[in-house]
Amino acid sequence: MRMDRIGREPEFSRYMDLKEGWLDRRIFSDADIYEEELYRIFARSWLFVAHESQLPKAGDFLTTHMGEDAVIVTRQPDGTIKVYLNSCPHRGNKVCFADAGNTRRFVCNYHGWAFNTAGELQGMHEEYCYDEGDIDRKKNGLRQVARVGSYKGLVFATFAEDGPSLDAWLGDFRWYLDMLLDNEEGGTELVGGCIKSVISANWKFGVENFIGDAYHAGWTHDSGCRSMNNGQPFPPIDMENSYHASVNGHGWEFGTEGVGDLFLLGRPKVMEYYEKMRPKMADRLGTMRSQIFGSVASASIFPNVSFLPGISTFRQWQPKGPMQFELKTWVIVNKAMPDDIKDEVTKGVMQTFGPGGTFEMDDGENWENCTTVNRGVVTRHERLHYRCGIGRQIDHDTLPGIVYRGQYNDANQRGFYQRWLDMMEATDLEAMPPRPEPRLTGIAETRDLPGLFAL
Amino acid sequence: MLDLHPEPALHDVVTALTQRLFHEARLLDDERFEDWLELLCEDVSYHMALKSRRFRADRSAPIAVGAGNVFNDNLARLKLRIDRLRSGFVWAEDPPNFVRRVVSNVEVLPGDAPNETIVHSVIVIHRNRIDGQNRLLTAGRTDRWRKGGEGWRLAAREILLDHSVLPDSNVNVFF
Repeated sequence: MRMDRIGREPEFSRYMDLKEGWLDRRIFSDADIYEEELYRIFARSWLFVAHESQLPKAGDFLTTHMGEDAVIVTRQPDGTIKVYLNSCPHRGNKVCFADAGNTRRFVCNYHGWAFNTAGELQGMHEEYCYDEGDIDRKKNGLRQVARVGSYKGLVFATFAEDGPSLDAWLGDFRWYLDMLLDNEEGGTELVGGCIKSVISANWKFGVENFIGDAYHAGWTHDSGCRSMNNGQPFPPIDMENSYHASVNGHGWEFGTEGVGDLFLLGRPKVMEYYEKMRPKMADRLGTMRSQIFGSVASASIFPNVSFLPGISTFRQWQPKGPMQFELKTWVIVNKAMPDDIKDEVTKGVMQTFGPGGTFEMDDGENWENCTTVNRGVVTRHERLHYRCGIGRQIDHDTLPGIVYRGQYNDANQRGFYQRWLDMMEATDLEAMPPRPEPRLTGIAETRDLPGLFAL
Repeated sequence: MLDLHPEPALHDVVTALTQRLFHEARLLDDERFEDWLELLCEDVSYHMALKSRRFRADRSAPIAVGAGNVFNDNLARLKLRIDRLRSGFVWAEDPPNFVRRVVSNVEVLPGDAPNETIVHSVIVIHRNRIDGQNRLLTAGRTDRWRKGGEGWRLAAREILLDHSVLPDSNVNVFF
């Protein structure tokens, strides 16, 4: 990895002033900045690569990307998961062109180099052409990532040898993540396969929309809401009892009314299911989290995963150049749900936030147009306004993270770009400051956090 | 055993259904959605799944629960989509996108019921969007059309999209 690029004089802080609340538009289209993002953020972050449920058996694999680097994720015979480059060490061709499946080996189409599912070179076509000393098989396996970790079903990998552990990377955001991943015994699974679409926009627009932009919903998605709700627009947001919470660049914006996102899914049976479950969720995660789950909410994990708890769309924004990304979407459900409820959730997600969904169809073009318009040679030098709610930070007894009151806010977006800046400028990832200081120090399980049962 | 000689449908049936498909495409191009709904049976099913790329020899289990459906609609659900388009609040469609459908490879086969036919066809949809970008979507369709008092109506449509990655940010079009 070309880490020699990293360690120059800091140069990215000029693209934003988050205390003032503005961003420079060039970060959304500039090719040089994008290239630096690939090195400094995507080659050094913990990146989501799979959900454990996608790889139940030994030999199960899927192909994905870490930044623009193609990788294979496989389940090993011992139950562990390996992640390595999907690129033959001979000439670089992909060794697997399928999206997913089960296999014993990967064979390169070009010269027949064959690798086992651990990524080790097993043999080559016409192997006699290599004289003794020409090739060391042990050194010509598929290049492994530096570290693989998982948190309650989500598998992450990083190319960075050093830097925070996955637990430290997620930090107190685990308190929020558990509302999605651990609200019922048995955890979660992805169902319904993956739907992929190409959007001609900068990847950050997707992430920042989900990390904190409740504000757009009432306007952008007005048509979708009215069509699903007998002509009625979105109800007004309760600015007093809704929040933004940001941890290490991750963010969750949410109400506490408990039903908004469940309602938007448009599936009464799913709503009933969660209403019945809510007391159990309160026993498990505390009253506050049982009230947050199901509310109007959206969230992103830094740098490029987002989801809607309650609506159950789970997605990744894969960068494909400064002005394009591939959106991969899945449906996430609790394993313990009966099949008919899983099916209802899947239908609901596709009808709302699939590529043909009543809400999803409004978003893509906004992001595409923001991206292309921001690129204008005069336009790009104008600042963008990210100041909404800048004075509403609070200390909250129960809620961890950097917390702001009022769901209509740019706070989580500012938190995301602060982490973007941290990563772009850090020479030593270990030295990056936690944002904020964690409460969960030394406690792996968020159910044990003191103060949990206060509302 | 593959039957290479299915009974050919009567010539006027083929003509009628081919004209139906062309007419339907023109209604949709012209955004005459209410007229389009008139061509659908009360129990219509309208379905499109996105497929993943798998090796030919792949034997892993098909997806057990749910499916990656872009459309999985009944009549009420299709009406809801049209209500949305008619709401006046669909900013991404205003000014309107230019959409043109080309329908071809029409093949009419007998259905299971005496008043039904199976109709295979191919559709190419060209979208010229607000931002000036062109998008081309192609799909195969297998329909079931049912003949009643008001002529042929669509009872079921299975759309096989020819893209493993959807080449657009949305599919705000009917196939």
